[in-house]
Amino acid sequence: MTRLADDVRQLAAGWRWTRRPLTPRSAEHWLPAPPLKEFPTDWARAPVARAIGQALFDFGLKPVTWWAIAPRVAGLDALDGLTPPVLFVSNHASHADTPILLGVLPKRWRDRTAVAAAADYFFDAWWRAASTALVLNTFPIERAGGPLAVGTAERLIREGWNLVVYPEGTRSQDGWAGRFRHGAASLSLAYRLPCVPIAIRGSFAAMPRGRGWAVPGRPAVSVRFGPALVPEDGEDFRSLSRRISQAIARAWDEDQTTWWDSKRRESRGATPSIQGPAASRWRRIWQSTRPLPRPGQPRAWPRS
Amino acid sequence: MSRPGFVLEVDERTPPLLVHEGESFRLQRFPLGTQVVYPPDSLPRIRNLDAAIRDALMNPVDAEPLPQLMKPGMRLTIAFDDLSLPLPPMRAPDIRGRIIEHVLEIAARRGVDDVKLVVANSLHRRMTPREIKHVLGERVFRSFWPEDVANHDAEDRGNLTHVGLTDKGEDVEINRRAAESDLLVYVNINLVAMDGGHKSVPVGLASYQSLKHHHNVHTMMHSASFMDPTQSALHDSAGRMGRLLAEHLRIFQIEATLNNDVFPDPFGFLNKREWEWSVKDQASYLAAKRANDAAPARVRREVWRRIEAPYGITGVTAGETEAVHQRTLANLHRQQLVEVNGQADIMVAGLPYICPYNVNSIMNPILVQCLGLGYFFNMYRGKPLVRPRGVMILFHPVPWEFHQVHHPSYVDFFEEVLSETTDPSQLEAKFEQHYAHDPWYIHLYRNSYAYHGVHPFYMWYWGAYAMDYLSDVIFVGADRRSVARMGFRTATTFVDALEMASETVGRSPTIAYFHNPPLVMADVR
Repeated sequence: MTRLADDVRQLAAGWRWTRRPLTPRSAEHWLPAPPLKEFPTDWARAPVARAIGQALFDFGLKPVTWWAIAPRVAGLDALDGLTPPVLFVSNHASHADTPILLGVLPKRWRDRTAVAAAADYFFDAWWRAASTALVLNTFPIERAGGPLAVGTAERLIREGWNLVVYPEGTRSQDGWAGRFRHGAASLSLAYRLPCVPIAIRGSFAAMPRGRGWAVPGRPAVSVRFGPALVPEDGEDFRSLSRRISQAIARAWDEDQTTWWDSKRRESRGATPSIQGPAASRWRRIWQSTRPLPRPGQPRAWPRS
Repeated sequence: MSRPGFVLEVDERTPPLLVHEGESFRLQRFPLGTQVVYPPDSLPRIRNLDAAIRDALMNPVDAEPLPQLMKPGMRLTIAFDDLSLPLPPMRAPDIRGRIIEHVLEIAARRGVDDVKLVVANSLHRRMTPREIKHVLGERVFRSFWPEDVANHDAEDRGNLTHVGLTDKGEDVEINRRAAESDLLVYVNINLVAMDGGHKSVPVGLASYQSLKHHHNVHTMMHSASFMDPTQSALHDSAGRMGRLLAEHLRIFQIEATLNNDVFPDPFGFLNKREWEWSVKDQASYLAAKRANDAAPARVRREVWRRIEAPYGITGVTAGETEAVHQRTLANLHRQQLVEVNGQADIMVAGLPYICPYNVNSIMNPILVQCLGLGYFFNMYRGKPLVRPRGVMILFHPVPWEFHQVHHPSYVDFFEEVLSETTDPSQLEAKFEQHYAHDPWYIHLYRNSYAYHGVHPFYMWYWGAYAMDYLSDVIFVGADRRSVARMGFRTATTFVDALEMASETVGRSPTIAYFHNPPLVMADVR
């Protein structure tokens, strides 16, 4: 029995049973192409599973998230007049983004919203895939493109689901937005879907890459919705993708300053880039992790 | 498209790596920075094998199509490799049987009546009827056994023909029936680069009189390596003999290459790279390891013995021996060759349960030595994987155990010869002739299922170059007595072995782990 236990321990440690499996660095180049197989998530959108998933979210994940982080939301009036399905398109800096985003959505929207999640990250182990599909209503999306990249997304749109899409494809390294891919714009164009731009600020400071839990002190995170964008006639995906990026940047600017100031800067084409200052890495992180004021906390001094 | 082989550098992410150790295996942690040579993934197997064989026979290289070489009234002999190939034995139908069926189809169509089949077992033990049936398949076996299928007998003076001398004065003496045939078809399986080509007929069908010209210490010391025919004195000699034979005899060579599908389920995890093991593979490892270690020795051996490899065929080539073998080697290298930059101070290898000379038998200490220092050390092209005066660490229990029927002369060699000297040249000079001509060993070779009396000497010569080249050979987890008898050292654990090696190569050696099987050959630059 001792030797069996030793063998089990050796396997558990060597193959990281409780954690993400890792490939030796020198072998990464030689990994086989992942099989063209998609983790099934339709079961998670069946009525019973949705009821369980929503209960787990409402009574489990959301209270825990709100206990550790202090989210605030603005601009939800942008959803007025819209009917599902729509695309919620946001910058992405933290694993906390999705629970916060779903948590601030009105329930009637949230109940019909699915989240695009990286197939190679969230769907590489069955337990991770099943739990995120159940609680967050995620579905796999191939970041590298290919035949399975948007297949499920298109099907969900046809079935009337709103989708949360992070066009950067991955979490930010320093709190600022990265290059936008065109998947969201392509979907919007293909199905004439409104895109709701969302700026999330403070999540990188609250729970950056590499952390499994929020930093102490219940940091504030701000979620601001911008007015929906509708594809124009003859518009191509690059143009729409650029407009989405600019809309998120304007929502970010509005959240940082005021609606009026952001509009004036937008009219001058002077909206600050959400890709951050061209500076060294530490200065970018320094800037992006500047604490946000807590909800309800008055400013000691008004902005000049 | 299968992936090429590569060299892994062990880092903190690397799981423990699988190491064979005789009739067992283990997971072993290696020091950070260890270079691990992994074989290429299995090449895709030929889907329509019958069509490929037909094509090879009808469109041979530098030879007429096989039907044109056959006519009524001729004497046709078909020789084929014995059970030392492949390893483990191939799951039925064996490729030799499939090829021979096609050859016989043509012979039947062309009205050839005088057909004999000969096992090219050289000085190896005779194959049993059951083993021959496995290789030939039921249809061929039923048609030819027992009158027209025979093991080659290298001691049957009446059935040997001295064909002549090479320009270096080497005797070429082979099986009379083969030598006097109008056509000799040789069916080969090329498992490693040493096999095939002119090593087929001049070795497989030869007598001791002929073999002693290249199976000797001098030749081995000038074969670096004997897995690279272009650098091998062994192959130079066999080549001279083969060319002489080709002047007297029409030889039609057929060679087949295999992919790396060595282990069947549930041992499939042994074919895979460890970090790609699924949960099922890990569970299989756990179950196999525990069951194997808990099983009585007899049961364990029987389980391993029954393993039949699900090999796929990657190429079948027929025609003139040298032209065929060039293509065969290219195919083989495609499956086995891995580029390695530089030599290491220490070469580590796990020795599996089987080598060419213990199929359905026991791997005795001399065969362990032969597999480690003969085969594994020599699986290189260019330079050895380990530097001159480096250290080789081998995993194997090396039990003091012999198969009394198959290896009678090995027992005496181990007791009598190695207790006096382990120096290959000395024991060659002092003992070889006696063992080669001992009437009792010859009797057992001819009438029982024993390897020839001289065979343990050849196994010892196989490792001669490595013994001279290395400064130390350390066996991990081995029987101290049997290892000491061979002049090597034993360590209880791998860490101890590294500690012992540090006496020679220092405290910060470079280490290369030769992850084999599935078979891999290092192309060391």
